Amino acid sequence: MPEPSCKTPRTPAWFSWFIGRLGYGLLTAWVISLVVFIATQALPSDPARVILGPDAPLESILTLQKQLGLDRPILEQYLRWLGHALSGELGVSLDSNAPVGSILFGRFGYTLALLAGVIAVVVPAALLLGVSLALRRDSRLDRWSLSLLIFLKATPGFLLAIGLVLLFSMPHIDVLPAVSILDPDKSLLRQLQFLVLPVLALSLSALPYLTRMVRASMIEALESDYVVAARLRGIPEWRIVWRHTLPNALIPAIQGVALTLRTLIGGALLAEVIFSYPGIGTSLNSAIQMRDLPMVQAIVLVITLGVVLINLFADLLTVLLTPKLRTARRVTMIRRNRRGIQPWWRRSPSKAP
Amino acid sequence: MSEGFSRRTFLGNGLAVGGGLILGSSLLSGCDSGAAVSGAAALSSTPVQGGRLRVGIIDGDQSGNLDAHKPVGGGIIRGWALYSKFWEWNTDVSTRLALAEFAEPNADASAWIIRIKPGLEFHHGKSIGADDMLFSILRLTDPKLASPFAGLVGAIDRNALRKLDERTIEIRFKEGQSFYPLDETLISFGGIVPTDYDPISNPVGAGPYKLKSFIPGQRSLYQRFENYYKPGQPYADELEIIEFKDQVSRAAALRAGQIDVASGVQAEHSALLKADSRLKLYASPSTSFTGFNLNLAKAPFQDQRVRQAFRLLADRRELVDRGLNGFGRIANDLYSPHDPTYNHSIAQRPYDLEQARSLLRQAGQDDLRVELTTTPGPGVNAALVFAQQAKKAGVEIKVTQVDGSVFNGPQRENWLMSPGSTPARGFLASALHNDAPQAIYNRSNFHDERFTSLYRQALAQPDLAQRKVLVHEAQSIQHERGGLLIWGFNDVLDAASVRVGGLAPEQTTFASWRFDEMWVNHA
Amino acid sequence: MNDSRRLRWQPWLAEPQTRKGTLITLAVVMLALLGPLLAPHSPTAMVGSVYGAPVGAAWLGYDFLGHDVLSRLLSGGLSVLWMSVAAASIALLTGSTLGLLAGFSRRRLDQLITWLADVSLAFPDLILVLLIVSMLGRAPWLIVLTVSIAFTPGVIRLARGSAVAVAGQEFVEAAQMMGYSRRRILFKEILPNILTPLLVHFGNMLTWGVGMLSGLSFLGYGVAPPTADWGLMINENQAGLLVQPWAVLAPAILIGIFAYGTNILAEGIGRSSSRIGEKQP
Repeated sequence: MPEPSCKTPRTPAWFSWFIGRLGYGLLTAWVISLVVFIATQALPSDPARVILGPDAPLESILTLQKQLGLDRPILEQYLRWLGHALSGELGVSLDSNAPVGSILFGRFGYTLALLAGVIAVVVPAALLLGVSLALRRDSRLDRWSLSLLIFLKATPGFLLAIGLVLLFSMPHIDVLPAVSILDPDKSLLRQLQFLVLPVLALSLSALPYLTRMVRASMIEALESDYVVAARLRGIPEWRIVWRHTLPNALIPAIQGVALTLRTLIGGALLAEVIFSYPGIGTSLNSAIQMRDLPMVQAIVLVITLGVVLINLFADLLTVLLTPKLRTARRVTMIRRNRRGIQPWWRRSPSKAP
Repeated sequence: MSEGFSRRTFLGNGLAVGGGLILGSSLLSGCDSGAAVSGAAALSSTPVQGGRLRVGIIDGDQSGNLDAHKPVGGGIIRGWALYSKFWEWNTDVSTRLALAEFAEPNADASAWIIRIKPGLEFHHGKSIGADDMLFSILRLTDPKLASPFAGLVGAIDRNALRKLDERTIEIRFKEGQSFYPLDETLISFGGIVPTDYDPISNPVGAGPYKLKSFIPGQRSLYQRFENYYKPGQPYADELEIIEFKDQVSRAAALRAGQIDVASGVQAEHSALLKADSRLKLYASPSTSFTGFNLNLAKAPFQDQRVRQAFRLLADRRELVDRGLNGFGRIANDLYSPHDPTYNHSIAQRPYDLEQARSLLRQAGQDDLRVELTTTPGPGVNAALVFAQQAKKAGVEIKVTQVDGSVFNGPQRENWLMSPGSTPARGFLASALHNDAPQAIYNRSNFHDERFTSLYRQALAQPDLAQRKVLVHEAQSIQHERGGLLIWGFNDVLDAASVRVGGLAPEQTTFASWRFDEMWVNHA
Repeated sequence: MNDSRRLRWQPWLAEPQTRKGTLITLAVVMLALLGPLLAPHSPTAMVGSVYGAPVGAAWLGYDFLGHDVLSRLLSGGLSVLWMSVAAASIALLTGSTLGLLAGFSRRRLDQLITWLADVSLAFPDLILVLLIVSMLGRAPWLIVLTVSIAFTPGVIRLARGSAVAVAGQEFVEAAQMMGYSRRRILFKEILPNILTPLLVHFGNMLTWGVGMLSGLSFLGYGVAPPTADWGLMINENQAGLLVQPWAVLAPAILIGIFAYGTNILAEGIGRSSSRIGEKQP
């Protein structure tokens, strides 16, 4: 893969680009963690009061505030938190008194399973639908499907989820559980039925974007010169579609999947709440309501890192799959390509015509 | 026991009474649904051993804990499985002995002697002794633990606790004061735990079930405790408490058979659940009150006429119908109607818009604007209904929702008007939650010299007849110039699969938490 | 490239999707505007039984307190609409200003703005809004501001990206060679040409805005009762979903229709402009 350099053997340009990109991502995650920490600590409510409830006497509250370290300066609290977080110690939930790490571990797995399920449904479905719609471009099927997709895209995802709950809690349609209360003692594979509805709800709202993206890039690829050339050379159509066009049309879809995943994390929160699915979305929602600051901070950190990693991975994949970028000699070539065209007033005057 | 304790010995096994609940006549209005719903089928069948009983609870957004003395969220319900106390509740909200075989105050209620039954054990096999009893009370009242429920037994003098012998302790109170309602205040959160207790690493007690696993915010699993103090009980081999965030998903789970019992069902779902032949609905006509606190420390409620006007303009019937969905009974601005000391001779306050208007006019408050502060949730409904009713008397009420943490924050006794509710308790204990001189907090800021003196005398009076006189007068003061607008008592609804037995409506709020009484026909 | 200025309503309306979208959107807006006048009852009047089923006098039944659902539905459209329009507009204005500023300023400032946008994009927007609203409270203007903050980074990226792309095209270079000032190039050549993508994005933001606002309401962070509001109706009648679904479904359907309308409007504009683009030499 790395292109042999003419003079000295060195690491390929994409690698140093990747390292830079990684640092950038981590910096982003750090800034978000700082902002979120300060913002949540500045919440106009008192976690000690939340924990102890209405009948707590004032002394109890002051004691607890001291126990929680809430009386220290905010930067000191942050540094302490960051130090603990870096060593994998995410603190103790104010609400349940259990270590945040152990609560989140299982829930994070459930959310990952949910997202994986959605991706496993959406990506093949979007590819299949996108390609077949592109091949039947402007036919009646194409137009109807597009309208349907726009409708799905426009409908807020949680309304779809509520509709599904309503439908499946009707007396005679209860073939699938409308509520996803997972049994932690059983492996997830044995209770896949609980995943069906949440995955379906999320897939329905994620499908339109990807399908249309695949369709658009397929149409573009099918009209490109090399496909025309291939047709002229008499290569069979199916081969053109599946071997030559699709791989090229897939590259923008990688970024599309990354974007979908990011919006899915937000959508998953609502879907998890609606289906009572025990993922990190439900715990974030309740942690916010309960002012359970260590939980909020830990979940936000995990989500941010997740998004950063997803973006990083998508960018890396894009670079590696695009021959021109993969073999680029200089980092700037990759960066420029990913950032758009250099504006006119920045070009050196000699280049101007 | 002195003769004043007749209410304590009133009931045998409360659950056997079942559908034939004995209710005070004042409670009967509007609770026909309760009697109609409670079927007799489950009561006739005998308990079935074994199986797993799955109970769905609403935990809101709180994930809760297992602490016996500082329970949070569903921790209160889980405590019913894990811990036993000196007393337990009868179905009519009186108390009976549980772990204790003897518990009585002296003549002026300045000291209590409590002796537990012999041969009792904790889940981990350690036998229960006086040290454990002392440890439990000390832990509950420990300022370091900061339990919000310590205030209820705040009268206990921690330094004067004494061990009399291996099974007996003596409790005295601060500054030698008297404290008669110890049973009602210590019962709720006074779970007896061993001296090596730890709510996280060693959550053991002497309750009907011992813990197998606990996942905060999701579920907890328990195993039958073989040496439970009630022989033969509990019935199921395993108990599982599953937490739900909202009522809709839990109702769906109950109908789908994912849980056996739904504890505390929303009134909105009653029709739906009643229509389902696989389910049964139990309506417990509790004497938990719901109402509003009118803050006497602030204008305009300093004026007794304004308070009376507000109490007159409340259409209690409509508040029950809309705010409680019809599952409740109207109230007369007084709490604890089940208490034998309750003053039934005070006439029900009518709905009288005319008089309310004229009182407001007299007070010079024709065009009154008031802010009603509430937390999000069910309290909002009643507040909105009341705001609508107040409009008819020319009073503009603005309903403001604040976060629970703000509502109960430092401002908590400063809200001009706020909803108030207390679970069913006797008069003395309810007052400790509301307007007693030493109330844990007094949102209405009601301080009345005569009332204070009457209340203090009642605390020191174990004799029922003599206490009755004191309470009667105290209640007429509350009715005449108090700061509570108590418009209703709410029913507590529970729903269960028809396979579940041992569940029956009662006057308390926790019919479905009696895990030692319920069984499941698992065959 | 002067026909950029003629590129206004006509070509857009020629696209059937635009017409359909305009019609649907306008219908919902009219309903929201005129609804309060048509409502048979006051939205806060308790006229029926709690969760009463639909009858002749109340086509959609009654809600959690016995309000007439139809009356609340007719009175409750305005807040969702103005809030989503306001949020999208604020995001459009600040976002495109910042985006253009980034695209046409020194590299440092450009990098800073782009980086800030990237940072906030690394964060799921619903969660961002949830955090801010739960912190600062549920005043309508605050919610609007928060939602617009969540939308701004996307606009910045789009504005910067398309401005930079347009700037590289021949007609801009031609204008530059003719010696026009930078301001003239910016306002006369570049802005009109990035207007279409921005408008398409505006339509999309309306769709997301309605979804996000109603989602917030659903989670309990929306307009405060007793105000009638579609999002709030979903939240407050959730408990009755299985008993009286219309109290939830009716506002949900209207929200869905409005989102659908704005979305195909955006699609239509995007499509017609791409068609115009094709015609361009």
